[in-house]
Amino acid sequence: MRDIVLRAIHARPELTAELCRRGMFGPEEKAEILRHRSGEKSRYLPLRSVQFATLLAHGDAQLAARAVLRDLLARDELWWLERVLRFQKHNAKREELIRIVERALEGRKGKCPRASLKSRK
Amino acid sequence: MPASLAEIPQIAPTPLINSVVKNLVTLAARAWTKRWIITFTAPTGVGKSTAVDYAERTLPFDHQVIRCKQITTRYTLLQALALAPGEKWNTHGRNWMRASDLYERALERIRQQPYLLMVDEADRLRMDCFEIVRDFWDDARLPLLLVGNEILTEKINRQHERLFRRIRIRHTQPALREADLRKVLECMGYAVADEEFTLLWKLVGGSPGFAEALLENANEIAASHGVKRGIEALEGAVRYFPTLRKAA
Repeated sequence: MRDIVLRAIHARPELTAELCRRGMFGPEEKAEILRHRSGEKSRYLPLRSVQFATLLAHGDAQLAARAVLRDLLARDELWWLERVLRFQKHNAKREELIRIVERALEGRKGKCPRASLKSRK
Repeated sequence: MPASLAEIPQIAPTPLINSVVKNLVTLAARAWTKRWIITFTAPTGVGKSTAVDYAERTLPFDHQVIRCKQITTRYTLLQALALAPGEKWNTHGRNWMRASDLYERALERIRQQPYLLMVDEADRLRMDCFEIVRDFWDDARLPLLLVGNEILTEKINRQHERLFRRIRIRHTQPALREADLRKVLECMGYAVADEEFTLLWKLVGGSPGFAEALLENANEIAASHGVKRGIEALEGAVRYFPTLRKAA
């Protein structure tokens, strides 16, 4: 099973359902998720902007990073995600995620080099 | 920067003049007149950035604000201070400039027309940026107001001893009091019932930013069920914040 699928299975069900709805996963990945969580998609109401951003911020950082890099979030959702992330305690993963979100807000995409974090400490 | 301001939720254009705004503006004026380096620290969500926005619009003397991000580097800092609006940094071609050229230009600008530099979210500045900022003060006595959360003090104390020794005032802003929080929320346009406010106060204390995040979540939960926001929706929103759930 792919790592990202495993992360989606372990995430909050409403978040996984929303990510499926927004097309984050391919057909095979979706089938795998649904096998573990049957009827996920229909049971939860679609999430609104702030709800979605808040759940992403408190969930798995790699799942959130992928959602951002795949352009699944609108501008206001990115803004809220960055805002909620800043309320949390900082760690390397979250800092990396904030960088990704900031770059997305500026219209830039792609991976952020981890080496740049070294000079921060 | 955002493409369209309409797309992004806006903070109230005129914030309530609470203790955070008052103290920040007073310290900014002090830093400017005495040419000091001052730090202003407060927990996240208290309203520092809103206060900086207000100060930016209202300070009666020359000033510049830099809002730090995680992706701010020494180059973005130097560009912001050295280049005129709209001017580009040429790194190639005949008129290329090194970072040191930018530094000299920024220094020249400060010497000719001094201003107060306010750095919002200064806790996110990198090590080399702190050193550049210190150099500006050493070379041109650039007045500085560094605004950030508790990490800022810790970072400067631990890693930048020489900058630490140059700071004249280290102001720690306490969180808002209950009455102040209620006023700020009203000013932000949230009509909060007493029982909602009691829960909010218990969970977030004097942090309007955190309260706003909770209330927005509660609004959306209520809207998706087609009802008006109430205590149930607020309790539902708390479930989205694992750290608050323990406090509730």
